[in-house]
Amino acid sequence: MIEHGPLLERLLAGEFVCAVSDDRAFRRLEDEEVREQIDTYLRPLNRRLATNAEGSVYFLAWRQLNDEAREQLSRQLGEVLHSLMPMLEWLQLMQEAMGHDALVAPGDVLKPAELSARCEDNQSLREQLERLAGDSFFGSQSEQLDAQMKQVFKRLKEHGYLLQPHADRQVYLVTGKIDYLVDLVRLIRDEENLPVDDESPQAQESLL
Amino acid sequence: MKELAVSDEHELESRLIGTGVERLALLGKHADALMQGYSRDEVPLEALSDSALRRLLAARIVWRPDDQGGVKLAPRVRELIAEMLADETRRQVNADVGETLELVRTLVQSYREAQNQSEYWHQEQQLLRLRQAVDDLNGRFADAIDSLWQRLNSDFGFVSRLNDKIRENDRAQKQIVRLLDGLQLIDFDELIELVGSDGTLRKLLISQLQRQVSQHYTSLREVQSRLTELMARFRQQQSRSRLISGMAAFLREHPNFVPGNYARRSEVPDLINQASPLIAAAAPALDHEPDIRVLTDLVFQLPTPVHKPQAVAAARPAEAEEQSLVAASQQALKQDVENFYLTVIDHPDPMGISALAYLQDSDMEWGDEIWLFQVIAEYQGLPRSEQRAFHLHQAESRASDFNDLRLIHDVTLQLAHLA
Repeated sequence: MIEHGPLLERLLAGEFVCAVSDDRAFRRLEDEEVREQIDTYLRPLNRRLATNAEGSVYFLAWRQLNDEAREQLSRQLGEVLHSLMPMLEWLQLMQEAMGHDALVAPGDVLKPAELSARCEDNQSLREQLERLAGDSFFGSQSEQLDAQMKQVFKRLKEHGYLLQPHADRQVYLVTGKIDYLVDLVRLIRDEENLPVDDESPQAQESLL
Repeated sequence: MKELAVSDEHELESRLIGTGVERLALLGKHADALMQGYSRDEVPLEALSDSALRRLLAARIVWRPDDQGGVKLAPRVRELIAEMLADETRRQVNADVGETLELVRTLVQSYREAQNQSEYWHQEQQLLRLRQAVDDLNGRFADAIDSLWQRLNSDFGFVSRLNDKIRENDRAQKQIVRLLDGLQLIDFDELIELVGSDGTLRKLLISQLQRQVSQHYTSLREVQSRLTELMARFRQQQSRSRLISGMAAFLREHPNFVPGNYARRSEVPDLINQASPLIAAAAPALDHEPDIRVLTDLVFQLPTPVHKPQAVAAARPAEAEEQSLVAASQQALKQDVENFYLTVIDHPDPMGISALAYLQDSDMEWGDEIWLFQVIAEYQGLPRSEQRAFHLHQAESRASDFNDLRLIHDVTLQLAHLA
């Protein structure tokens, strides 16, 4: 168990562990035996190892949902929902700024300077960033584009969606927590029966 | 007779070679124009002389689809260039197994006839063409498989939109199905019967071909499963992107939307069950004998704290308090002086009231000087109209015989209409 010490500490501290944030730890967690060991250890702390549908991130969940845990989960859910719209807008902004038609995915490299430059040349992106950065979730007070972008990235790093491998270099990696967010959106869509479609028209045709 | 035929064939062959070399050279000679025809729709004619164009047309390197239209690259030439460039946007996958098998059957029969008539040179020629037919078939599969791997490994990088990637992947999968169907056409039972006991043919059409075909099968199955995986990934990316944009659009339309509190349900969805952070804290403890030495060492290693002179800024709160105290006492003095003025108004005295006498009669504790100063300041602070209602008399003297500085000993305030 001692070799899992640092990993346990990170998990207990509420971190999401994925192949980007810690490749070695992630590969160890893919081993069922290790997962069982960790679960046994976590039992007296009323916690267990949990993962998303694709198994791309690991985090800790409550083992028994007592009143206190439910209270905490409600609060947490409220916070996540508060961040939902700005996060969705950020995902769309990144997609547009990079000219991709796929969302950013774990392992993608993002450079705020490059993204700022693209927003600078494009009034619509510029406005999107402005609105986004001013949202209370990102909380930028600045009117400078660079500062807004920097603040947005800082907050995303704090929330574990991004990783900055070198503290002195403005280069970020997207972590597996993005997958978790997308799964959460899907969960809300399904639970609330929202009219939000994620199948392409072609795929639907082939189903018919 | 036989001699003649052989020499005819030799002649024919050397003529073919001569023309081939001549026509291949055309490709190099007009490479610029032909490549422009490859990248655009038509071959530009400005760079070509009439005779050059005639030669290119005769060599079927270019053709004219209709009389009015321009000159275009022949499909085979386009394919050749695409193949040479590994240009996946235009590379064709076409194994043409059926036709090759037909050719093989014809050649084998012709070979047998030559063999029976002991026409060795002819027999050799047929064998050569058989080898070429088998090599071509093999090469076409190898090229097709190479093209598929190229596309797969580049994630269909030659198209940028996800929708195009999905379509390209779909197209590649259909090609694989066609290639596999083509391989299925090769019936080894039939070939075994066809070659009979001839060792050379057996080696060529059975053992060699069988080995190659089974390699192609393996490669195609592998590419196929990889393409399917990649397709699933493309579809997943597309689905994620659609989900996010759909949800964002929904939330924009319904800004007050609040989902249910899943944490209060009897069955809490696994995804939202995320335990609160727990910090595994620890502090130095001295209850474990062997640790004490380590801790002592650590303490010695601690850098000596440097006491810096306290910054002036640290005294600020006290200063602020003092300031507010001063302000408060200033306010009280002003209030007392105003009361003095009110007393003068309320008790009109033709002699006026001495400010010092008023101070001494009261239980106020102001110094004489500060009191007089405030009384004078109050008078000077009044609007001119109100100032006229009072008469302020200053009891003053010269500082000394040689100094004309006036010293005020007292002030007397009286209402102006009484003066």
